Amino acid sequence: MKLDGTNTLPAPVQTVWETINDPDALRRCTPGLKELKPIGPDSYQATLTVGIASVKGTYAGTLKITDKRAPTHYKIVLEGTGGAGFMKGEGTVDLEAQGNETLLRWSGDIQVGGLIAGVGQRMLGGVGKMLIGQFFKCLEQQFGLPSSGGAAAGGPAAPGQPSAGSGDR
Amino acid sequence: MKPAAFEYHAPRTIGEAVRLLAAHGDDAKVLAGGQSLVPLMNMRLARPRVIVDLNRVRGLDGLREARGVLKIGAMVRQRVAERSPLVASRCPLLRDALGCVGHPQIRNRGTIGGSVAHADPAAEIPAVLAALGGEVTVRGPKGARTIRAADLFVTYLTTAIDARELLTEVRVPVQPRGAGWSWMEIARRHGDFALAGVGVMLALRRGVIAEARIALTGVGPAPVRANAAERLLTGSRPSDAVWQDAAEAVRGAIDPDGDLHASAEYRRHVAGVLTVRALREALGRAGAPGSGGRGRPRREAA
Repeated sequence: MKLDGTNTLPAPVQTVWETINDPDALRRCTPGLKELKPIGPDSYQATLTVGIASVKGTYAGTLKITDKRAPTHYKIVLEGTGGAGFMKGEGTVDLEAQGNETLLRWSGDIQVGGLIAGVGQRMLGGVGKMLIGQFFKCLEQQFGLPSSGGAAAGGPAAPGQPSAGSGDR
Repeated sequence: MKPAAFEYHAPRTIGEAVRLLAAHGDDAKVLAGGQSLVPLMNMRLARPRVIVDLNRVRGLDGLREARGVLKIGAMVRQRVAERSPLVASRCPLLRDALGCVGHPQIRNRGTIGGSVAHADPAAEIPAVLAALGGEVTVRGPKGARTIRAADLFVTYLTTAIDARELLTEVRVPVQPRGAGWSWMEIARRHGDFALAGVGVMLALRRGVIAEARIALTGVGPAPVRANAAERLLTGSRPSDAVWQDAAEAVRGAIDPDGDLHASAEYRRHVAGVLTVRALREALGRAGAPGSGGRGRPRREAA
């Protein structure tokens, strides 16, 4: 399942780079992340509970950041297994300065296998996109500015509203 | 396949059920017909700690019409509604859509309220509610409240109903006399989840479309009401050119996901094709008051 998209974040490239390399920010913003424990340089042990409504699976695995070219590019490699199946993914993040803002381009290829893939296939792409959308929404909030979408205070963020990409092709 | 251990409650009254939900909150899951929840539990994709079984609760199985609204108790079985003469005459769109919900065995157990609360993105009943502007009543610790269809379906399997609230009634406005309707969906096999589905209602006055309702299922995280297409149709005279414009408006209003079963492009294309077919069928049925009993839902193989 390939997913991609772009988000404009209201901060300069250097600030965005620091944030997306900050384990605390990642911990705060990754939906369902229960644990992120460093086990080496740019290498973490992660426990993630992902899913939707009551259909959730807990995955334990590793998260590595590789191919770093500060301050504009890295690759995330994710691997996890759990009762509901396994997931394996790779994603790249590229930052580009746009005045005082940063254009963040992301793309990922995620494989989900096991029971959850068999049963949840119909919704995996959409739910994946939604979770990634939540991640970026949260990142935007880390910079302390309302997003360009201008979601009103108190209103639940409309799912899929962040400029999530064209989805699975 | 057996579910993980859970605590089981079988309340007898709505009040008791609401108290149980209030006490257990997110840990509890409501069991209605069990046609979605039980398989998920058996595969251990869902592991609720507490089950509140509604099957013994009194007062959730009413099915009646009052002041132009069909009032359906949350535990009315889909099959009961599908075979109800009242539903067939007042809301044939719902009757036809119900014919496409899984298989008869599933509909014998599955409930109207369960389908709405489960909010599967390819489910039929939520789309009918969206098309006709239905609403639901939920009861919680702070009393009852009404949620309109437009505010109810949030995303995949997620509604605006709080974990401490119980859906008690689904209300669907009766279709205007003489209005035409059509439910069309396409699935790989009969009984599968729809790759795309559309519900249409058309009311004509002196050859002009006075009211158009279109809602789709299977083409997004929640049912999609095709407002732009409805606006375009209202005030127009029916013609193939107008149907094609409406289909284009529908394609523009949806953002389907692709998966193993169908690509996003295919779903978008088919949503338009089904819209045209449904509009034609609805037009053919319009203008004949009381023509509710005929015609079965159309479902075609991909």
